[in-house]
Amino acid sequence: MEKEMQEWQPKIVAFLCNWCTYGAADLAGVNRLQYPPNFKVIRVPCSGRISPKLILAAFRNGADGVWISGCHPGDCHYIEGNMYARRRFTLFRSLFKHIGIDERRLHFSWISAAEGIKFAEVANDIVKTVKEVGPAKQLIKEKAQVA
Amino acid sequence: MVNYTDKIRETAKRLLNDGTVDTFIGYRKGSLPFVNNPAIIHNAEEADELVWDSNCALNLCNYLTNRTDKIGVLATGCNSRNIAMHLKENKIKREQLVIVGVPCTGMVDHRAVKGMVDGEILEVTEAGEEITVKGDDFEKTFKTADVLQTNCQTCAHRNPVIFDELVADEVPELDGVNQYADVEAVEAQSDEEKWQNFENIFESCIRCYACRNACPLCYCPTCFVDESKPQWVGKSTDPTDTMTFHFLRAFHMAGRCTDCGACERACPVDIPLRYLTKKLNKDAKDIYDYESGTNVEDKALLDTYKPTDLNDFIR
Amino acid sequence: MIEKSYKKDEWQGALAKLAKESRVIAPVNGGTHSVFKTLEEGDVPDFKSSKTRLSPKSVVFPQSERMFEYSLDEESEENGILKEAKKDYAEKFVAGIRPCDARSFKLVQVNFDTPTYKDPWWINNYESTTFIGQACNKACSTCFCTSTGGSPFGEEGLDVVTVDMGDSFLVKSVTDKGEKLLNTIGGGADATDDMKTKVAELEKAAVASVKSEIKTDNLKELKETDLFEADFWKDTFDGCINCGGCTFSCPTCWCFDIQDEVQKKEGDRIRNWDSCMFPLFTKHGMGHNPRDQKFQRIRQRFMHKLKYYPDKYDKGIMCVGCGRCVEVCPANIDIRRVAELMNNYSK
Repeated sequence: MEKEMQEWQPKIVAFLCNWCTYGAADLAGVNRLQYPPNFKVIRVPCSGRISPKLILAAFRNGADGVWISGCHPGDCHYIEGNMYARRRFTLFRSLFKHIGIDERRLHFSWISAAEGIKFAEVANDIVKTVKEVGPAKQLIKEKAQVA
Repeated sequence: MVNYTDKIRETAKRLLNDGTVDTFIGYRKGSLPFVNNPAIIHNAEEADELVWDSNCALNLCNYLTNRTDKIGVLATGCNSRNIAMHLKENKIKREQLVIVGVPCTGMVDHRAVKGMVDGEILEVTEAGEEITVKGDDFEKTFKTADVLQTNCQTCAHRNPVIFDELVADEVPELDGVNQYADVEAVEAQSDEEKWQNFENIFESCIRCYACRNACPLCYCPTCFVDESKPQWVGKSTDPTDTMTFHFLRAFHMAGRCTDCGACERACPVDIPLRYLTKKLNKDAKDIYDYESGTNVEDKALLDTYKPTDLNDFIR
Repeated sequence: MIEKSYKKDEWQGALAKLAKESRVIAPVNGGTHSVFKTLEEGDVPDFKSSKTRLSPKSVVFPQSERMFEYSLDEESEENGILKEAKKDYAEKFVAGIRPCDARSFKLVQVNFDTPTYKDPWWINNYESTTFIGQACNKACSTCFCTSTGGSPFGEEGLDVVTVDMGDSFLVKSVTDKGEKLLNTIGGGADATDDMKTKVAELEKAAVASVKSEIKTDNLKELKETDLFEADFWKDTFDGCINCGGCTFSCPTCWCFDIQDEVQKKEGDRIRNWDSCMFPLFTKHGMGHNPRDQKFQRIRQRFMHKLKYYPDKYDKGIMCVGCGRCVEVCPANIDIRRVAELMNNYSK
């Protein structure tokens, strides 16, 4: 336990859609399923709301990883929000890789409100993966480097 | 392409005289070598000032956004694709436009040419397929095709995809060109090398926003850079802010950029800005078999979806 | 006054030695163009290229500059107190600056160093800089310094002047600061009369090589409001894309915007170059924008440069004729053409 507290813990920002994954997170909690506390959860109405500005804002503020999760395609509360999001995420991920940032910092999942177990599993796996990558070093906004 | 000038003047005169258009957008000859002055003219007498050569690189579609008059506009292949994007995105109505198509053989890369001579270039003349530059004590002739802008060297659409009339016969499209050889080279590099590229390329950016302003598709009433509640990007020359700006701007071009090169042309510090947008264009092609602006009917890349879209990276 | 000649490599060596002890800023060619940068180990100053892409105004007036810092940590005793950011105003040297750029600081000084308001950052920066100029033996096609009150061999704003005589430089002190520097550098040989004659000939040739010119004799006579209402503003410059390239490359543009940036519990008050070309430049807090149309902003820039400034300060136009805006503008908006339209205007 002490060793865990001393070793570096990644900070991961989790954008979870209100109708599905956020419910899954709730379910995981109610069922006392263990998952790491490294997440700062931001509830969004739909995965389709996620814009690259948000993801970059998370990294700029020092996030070591970002996790975006929404309803399964076909099950979106707003019918098709996650469908549009899927294309956006595909291209964003590719451009992110193109500038040389480790793709293991960016995670996506479709988790429905009934999938509490899946939520805990994915959460565990994400923390493990981001731990392997190490602390974020790129695109972090600190004190402005100006004259 | 220099022989297009007469036809362009004649076309502009005709369209303005018979009232088909209220405005005609073309170029006047610049006061310096390698640059021409975009001209928005309203009467036929001004049409005599219009010219066309391989330095008409600033994208004229930039001036179309939100206009309410009837407009005649010159459009090369890439520019015509921008018009198609404008129509898709409701920035102008088809009925307002008379698209005067210009089959284009490419724009000259003035930076490359300047790098090949010693001394200031005072005069540039084009004849046939050659371009001659003159300075105080030198004169050199190049084959225009050898000194084209990098985007023109791999152009996939030299001829306009949408037009009402053409100023010349269509030109043959380029054959056997690997449009994305440069992107493939980067894809093969390591993460460290890619990051180093990214940092180096945008190091000299002075945040003048010429790239954004020259781009016909950057027309947001309030650019994300200028948003303050919340503020997404700082306004200083801090490297993280500069890199954030370019990354996000490029991403806003996903599935929309037509690789016209106006951004690179406009940049005062010679940054190869297409480094990011090229990657997005390649992805659009490889993953979704999509090329922006080739017609008006299709929806924009991110404005639509298929249930079978790529999903393997999502758990 | 010291007047000496130095073989070229001796002078380069002297600058390199100076660069080891103090900051020396000189034009360095990065591939496609030169910019002023602090010389580091291995940097070779480029004294051959005619002009740098961006002016050296960033030496005295950096593009982004921290003015104040503050803490928002409620536990700290410094909470909420604006503190001046620490700066290093140790003596620094600018080498290879052209007479037009050196003169530009004098034109801009009236804005930053006034009887009522003094900008401590600009003034401290300016006064701690020694300017080693290089005369222009040959003008570019876009240079028109002689029309603005300058000259390719001008000395205004310089502490030391160097003239390229082929295989050596003639180096002359202009001010006490310059003399002090040359005394420190030492070396060189006394300038001979032959050399002085040669320099005089070079100057004559240089002035004759300035082919571009603008006329501004009528500007003062014209009524400001008449010029403002002129028709030509409406559509002559429609090609402008309001990019700000002209303002950022111009040595006499001085507008800036101040912004606070807060990271967690620490804040900075930073100033950044701003441009009257940007639509946001005059946007008011309540949303109204008096210059929301392109032609209004273009008019503002050229009226400021060619009419308001000369009227207010009586130091000639707010332009040194360096020609950078002409070269940088992607839409070929040419100040020489604008000046012609303005000067020739009659109601």
